[in-house]
Amino acid sequence: MTEKRKPFLLDLLRIVTVIIVALLLGFLITVMVSEEPVAAFESLLTGPFPKISMGEAGLQLKGINRFGNWLEDSITLILVGLAVAVVFRAQQFSLGAEGQIYIGALAAGIVSLFISAPLAIHIGLALIAAALAGFIWGWVPGVLKAYVNADEIVSTLMLNVIAIQIYRLLLTQWLRNPDAGYIATEFFPETAVLPIIIPGTRVTIALILTVAAIIGTWFLMMRTPLGYELRVVGDNLKFAEYGGVNTKRTIALSMAISGALAGLAGAHLSMGLLKQLTLNISLGIGFEGIVVALLARNDPKAVPLAGLFYGYLRTGAQIMERSSDVTREVVLIIQAIIIILITAERMLPLLQEWWKKRRHSPDELIAEAQEAADVV
Amino acid sequence: MSFETVISSIFTLAFIATVIRISTPLILPALGGLFSELAGVINIALEGLMLAAAFFGVVIGTFSPQWFPGLPFWVHPWLGALAGILVAMLLAWIIAFFHLELGADIILTALAINILAQGGTVFIMFALTGDKGSTSTLASPAIPNVVIPFVNNVPGLGTLLNAENLTGYNIMTYAAIIFTVLVWIMLYRTPIGAHLRAVGENPAAAASVGINVKRVQYMALLLSGFFSALGGINLSMGYLTIFQANMTAGRGFIALAAVFLGNKNPIGTVIAAIIFGAATALGAQMGTLNVPNQYIEMIPPFVTIAALVIYNLRRRAQIAASARKFQEKMQTEQEVV
Amino acid sequence: MPPIVELKDIIKVYPNGVVANKHVNFSVEQGEIHALVGENGAGKSTLMKILYGLEQPTGGKIILNGAPVDIQNPHHAIDLGIGMVHQNFMLVPSFTIAQNIVLGREPRRGQFINTEESIRITEQLSREYGLTVDPTARIEATPVGMRQRVEILKTLYRGANLLILDEPTAVLTPQETDDLFEAVRRLVDQGKTVIFITHKLVEVKEISDRVTVMRHGEVTGDAIYTRDISEEDIAQLMVGRKVLFRIEKPEQQRGQAAATINNLGYISETGRPLLRDVSFNVYAGEILGIAGVEGNGQTELAELLSGLKPPTTGEAFIGGQSVLGHGPRRIRQAGVAHIPEDRLTNGVSLPSSIAENLVVDRYYRSPYTRQGVMYPRQIREQAKALMQEFDIRAASYDSPMGALSGGNMQKVIVAREFSSEPVLLIAAQPTRGIDIGASEFVRRQLVEKRNEGKAVLLISADLAEVMSLADRIAVMYKGRIAGIFENGPHLTEEELGLYMLGLKTQPPAELEKML
Repeated sequence: MTEKRKPFLLDLLRIVTVIIVALLLGFLITVMVSEEPVAAFESLLTGPFPKISMGEAGLQLKGINRFGNWLEDSITLILVGLAVAVVFRAQQFSLGAEGQIYIGALAAGIVSLFISAPLAIHIGLALIAAALAGFIWGWVPGVLKAYVNADEIVSTLMLNVIAIQIYRLLLTQWLRNPDAGYIATEFFPETAVLPIIIPGTRVTIALILTVAAIIGTWFLMMRTPLGYELRVVGDNLKFAEYGGVNTKRTIALSMAISGALAGLAGAHLSMGLLKQLTLNISLGIGFEGIVVALLARNDPKAVPLAGLFYGYLRTGAQIMERSSDVTREVVLIIQAIIIILITAERMLPLLQEWWKKRRHSPDELIAEAQEAADVV
Repeated sequence: MSFETVISSIFTLAFIATVIRISTPLILPALGGLFSELAGVINIALEGLMLAAAFFGVVIGTFSPQWFPGLPFWVHPWLGALAGILVAMLLAWIIAFFHLELGADIILTALAINILAQGGTVFIMFALTGDKGSTSTLASPAIPNVVIPFVNNVPGLGTLLNAENLTGYNIMTYAAIIFTVLVWIMLYRTPIGAHLRAVGENPAAAASVGINVKRVQYMALLLSGFFSALGGINLSMGYLTIFQANMTAGRGFIALAAVFLGNKNPIGTVIAAIIFGAATALGAQMGTLNVPNQYIEMIPPFVTIAALVIYNLRRRAQIAASARKFQEKMQTEQEVV
Repeated sequence: MPPIVELKDIIKVYPNGVVANKHVNFSVEQGEIHALVGENGAGKSTLMKILYGLEQPTGGKIILNGAPVDIQNPHHAIDLGIGMVHQNFMLVPSFTIAQNIVLGREPRRGQFINTEESIRITEQLSREYGLTVDPTARIEATPVGMRQRVEILKTLYRGANLLILDEPTAVLTPQETDDLFEAVRRLVDQGKTVIFITHKLVEVKEISDRVTVMRHGEVTGDAIYTRDISEEDIAQLMVGRKVLFRIEKPEQQRGQAAATINNLGYISETGRPLLRDVSFNVYAGEILGIAGVEGNGQTELAELLSGLKPPTTGEAFIGGQSVLGHGPRRIRQAGVAHIPEDRLTNGVSLPSSIAENLVVDRYYRSPYTRQGVMYPRQIREQAKALMQEFDIRAASYDSPMGALSGGNMQKVIVAREFSSEPVLLIAAQPTRGIDIGASEFVRRQLVEKRNEGKAVLLISADLAEVMSLADRIAVMYKGRIAGIFENGPHLTEEELGLYMLGLKTQPPAELEKML
């Protein structure tokens, strides 16, 4: 994850180009398998948007629930994206978001099911529990990395497995609702379910909480000493040490905070979307959040945009799947192409060099180089 | 269920046979992960490579009779296997190319391949069969098992050597055993193995003696693709002849963990992979005795993390010890002077 | 007999304008031990890099065994029979010695490595050249002396006739050094030729047949027979008589001891003592210069005093507090600022902005942070003020550090460290690798701080710089203080050179007085 601060405009152009290329390739693939690729892709690209029309009763909005799906999905993606952005910004390769989601969901679930309290307090407690559980689950590999130099890629991947096992253990042995037809808990009591704020959709107050999380993360990264430490440790660890920063503490905290955010994503999944705990509460969304952070270049301000974009694609893919013969997995293929192209840092400079070589003859290039040496 | 019943059910040859069977698709990708880790290009896409190979093995194996009707019956599964291997190696090559030539981050690129495999397999499966869950509608072939003759007459030996139902272990199991030996020989007895390990430990030293570091790393990644493919094919064309979405279920990541638990050498890696396999088998056994399998399944990841910590602490202690030794030597030297 | 190699009229100019070799003529006779001597930056490393194919000369030519050659890269050099043993060893830690020696050209039996043959070859070479090694020992468990012998055997295995040894004794104990010399003599007896790069004059006298001295990219002593020259003469050719630029300094107003360093010792990870029993005081209102050839413990001294590493023994007191062993922040809070030697690694963060770089030692304090909240406007204001005061040329305070020239980067570091109102200011190699303008600026700033009553510790391998700026000068040699002197017209470079090169040591009584 060696990201240098490239000029903003050039970077933006690069990302947009990559997205367009990936979408084009996705379209090509769609053409190969579908009878009506154009219609399919159209529903992919425009599906999540509500259709505005003028009716007798004035302005009419159709498809508002799809719009809601888009927002819901984006909320989860944004929270995970924030989690990954924080930890990648500090140059720590934690891949533990998936496990932290499960742990957060579990904590939220337990508080929701076993505590009685009025709405605001109940939800508040559940969210705090989720964030705290995620915090601890991120803090452990952080400490191992900081003090024993244990590779965080392996430790977080292992902790993911452990987290999912703990979750499933508790779910199947103690939390399970025997009357349900599938493995799940009872539905959360009303006081623990996030209230809906956009009528006609399932968009809950999680929207507001996510905005708060975005602002909070931005504030943390840009307006607190800890945020400064995170950024400087990510930019140059030795410099941070030399300047007096406690780099071990910073590394551990970066993973812990990331865990807290991912834990909140888990709370959203359980309390907002599903309103219960199921066997597979997350199907890899912890890893898909990495794309969001990558598109946003680890900048909290850009995560919402990247999250909304990616959520749009995912929702559009669902709509496309329902209305055509193309399956939604095509979006995963597009996602993979985006990741590979964006992270290929040397591609642009190499292309530039190749272009130069084509336009100038070898003699010209040698003369250029000699001149540069003689000027000295 | 009493403790004795539990213990007695474990120490049976049937259990050992189960462990051997379950460990096969862990050992094979672990060997692949070992190559890439030793060469300094960690590959976290073992999962996706296995999945892709499992899928294409099934698909090509199923359609090959239609495309090449003249070929003898037994060739088609092997064509499928070959296709699976080629696809996995192609995907591994993509990781190598983007990382070594275009400077892409190897973790992210491998992650992308995992996602590509996850989505691509379901996508193509749906296009071919209309089913997003599995290829149950296809009559996909199997890579054969190997039955050892005569031993079934000896009580117990039959189960040990021919698996639980005396149907014989899949050929991939034998492949795993043979390749383990070959890999060890290759790494520690051949020049290319020495070059590979040198590249991973000190690329500058390797380059300084004329070793082409990039070429070695390409090769390591391609090998990791090859071995992952074998594991994937074992899943979809072995005891089960079907491809299910996400059927690898994290085995690729467990295989990578086995490399670290095994301290990055072939014997340790294989033993670690068997430990992971045994845990799964034990978990299933416990399940039948109403003990939740999750307890058992948690043990190998815990052990891996503990191993990471222990290995690092040990290294530190070793360095400190050799420094002290050297210091003492210097002090005695000075006294002599 | 013609020389085995001749470098004729070599010119090397780097893209950044530095002239490393200026019309250098260097020739080596077959079968001799030829010492190549000079301070850091004299150009000797560059010359050898050209010979080994690591660099290409801007002008001049190389004649090897009578024929002109163009050495493209190290592999080519190896094929031509040239071998080089670098200061950083290129060895694979977990491999055995035999495996390391044959790496890349392993003897085979069919498809497999012939391990017995590797061991046999190792033992044979070892016997032939008297370089004792244990073929089956793993590198990571062998001492440095043996590792170096492995590097030499590596070159011999690849057919080297001309061996270049780059500062080989820098990492060796005295006993190992003796062993090395014996080995070198035996190599020559077997018909090899050795070029011995060093700055340790005692060794030059002990081992070499002829010596070439370089200074500032030029040859000042051309292939002189070692028996015909004294160490003092060599020292003079190395250090030379230069015109010193004296900076105007008012009379020193020396105050209390701002920093007291007692018996500082440091042993490296590999067990070598790099600092031994170092004690001195730095007084308010003075510049104490630490002179010495690089590699005699100055780097470690600076690292210890800036908190980057804990000392093995000893303490340092700033304002009465013991400050070592608690990390950089504690020392900074005690009032110590540090201009680091390794600018790019420690001193700046290239991807971060100038403003972010300027605030790393104080971001957590008021006015930059109040009640847990950071105020970017304060950081910006500081950046703007400092950029103006210290004449830092850049597009804006937001520009990434990587966009600045070396000189401007140093100014940023100086701006940050000076503005922290330190009690003790440590400057390690502050003008190395930066342009004249920036160098003058930095030196003026150091003197200004001294005039303001701060204590300044100047560590520099540039003797002229130390002599023009310092009030007192301490010389370091092999991790110890060889002497402390009042600076003045009575103190000459030649005199200091003798201490720097280990030829003279101040008697303990006098040293006590000067602490």
